[in-house]
This record gives sequence, C-alpha cells and structure tokens, in this order.
Amino acid sequence: MTTTTNFTSTRFGEVAYTDADIVTLEGGLLGFPASTSYLILAHKEGSPFRWLQSLEEPGLAFLVVDPAHFVDGYAPLLGDEAAQALGLSEDTPRLVYTIVTIPNGRPEEMTINLAGPIVINGVTRVARQLVIEDPNCAIKHRVLENKSKRLAA
Amino acid sequence: MLVLTRKVNQSIIIGDDVEVVVLEVRGEQVRLGIRAPKDVTVHRKEIYEQIQEENRQAAKTRTEDVPE
Repeated sequence: MTTTTNFTSTRFGEVAYTDADIVTLEGGLLGFPASTSYLILAHKEGSPFRWLQSLEEPGLAFLVVDPAHFVDGYAPLLGDEAAQALGLSEDTPRLVYTIVTIPNGRPEEMTINLAGPIVINGVTRVARQLVIEDPNCAIKHRVLENKSKRLAA
Repeated sequence: MLVLTRKVNQSIIIGDDVEVVVLEVRGEQVRLGIRAPKDVTVHRKEIYEQIQEENRQAAKTRTEDVPE
C-alpha cells in the first residue's frame, strides 16, 4: 500500500504524491543546494514542458523540457564520476531534461540550458545537474528562432 | 588562503589523492594538469558560476509565460 502525501506548491496549489514520485537531486541544483527532493509535474496535458517542483521550498520550481524536443542529436557526455554517482550503467533507463528560462513576459526569448542538463536515473530516481564544458552546449540556447511561437506538440 | 610558489613540472597535493601539476607558463596563461579520483569533479570556476546564475534566472520563469 503506497501512502499519498499532500504538498502545497506556491505555483500549483495542492499536489498529491507518493515516495516513488520523488526525484532526489544530490547536492541540489547549482545555486540551490538546500533543495534536493523534487516532483516532476506536467505543465499542461499535451505540453512537452514539465515542472521540477522542490518539496523543500514550495515557491521553487524549474520549467524543464526534454532537449530532444528542440535539439537534434544532443547527447551530453556523462563522465565516469557522474555515472557512478547516479548509479548508471549503459543500459540503465534515464531521463534527460534541460532547464528552461523564460524572461518575464517574453516567451519568444525562451532559452534552454544545454550546459547544465539534469540526468535522472529512471530506476532509482536519483538525479544530478551535470556541467558540460563544450562550446556547442550553450547555457542560453535560443529555441524559438526557427519556430513559430506556437510549438508543435 | 594558502599561497605557494611552484615552478613548471612541480605540483601540489590536495588531500591524499588530488594532484595539481603546473605544466606550462606562457605569458598570462598557466596550464595545469589535474590528477584526481573518478569521483571528484573538476571544472573551471566560471562555468559553475554561469550555470548557478542561469538556474537563478530560470527559477523566475512564470507559468503564464510558457508557450502552448
């Protein structure tokens, strides 16, 4: 029997979750070391966007998206150290998300951070923000330049 | 802060298993070699700070600005 816990998010109000839903970001996100437990919430039905909602700070949530939705062939190199920390072997299922930044009121200036992807072990739900030192992986990668504002689903 | 003077090919040891070697000094640039266990991450400080700053910006993203 799984126990459901209720949590009140500043953005999304009451959210019910079970322990199995929790993503554990070891060390937190860079700049946010105090938050290590997150939920992945859908933005809207049919939307490619998700929210990483902190369980420690109700007001803290990050918009994320599967980078494959915007970028072809993005495969951040997972170092030995990160693979070990995440408990990932070659065939472990994993999720990769990039954090989305939208300046207030200017959605057309949306960027995704290809230099700091979040990799989640799909089995243990242990996660980490990687640091990718590759000039092709921009911290602010504009995604709407060649697309209309309305995203294809 | 501990301050040490080193010459090319000399190194410092941090803890038991992290070694930083001065490989080359050319004008204002210093090339360093770092030998560390696999479970130690080494990155340039600037990229860490830039990602921290980007995360802070990202945390301000509002739900009403997310495209449909």
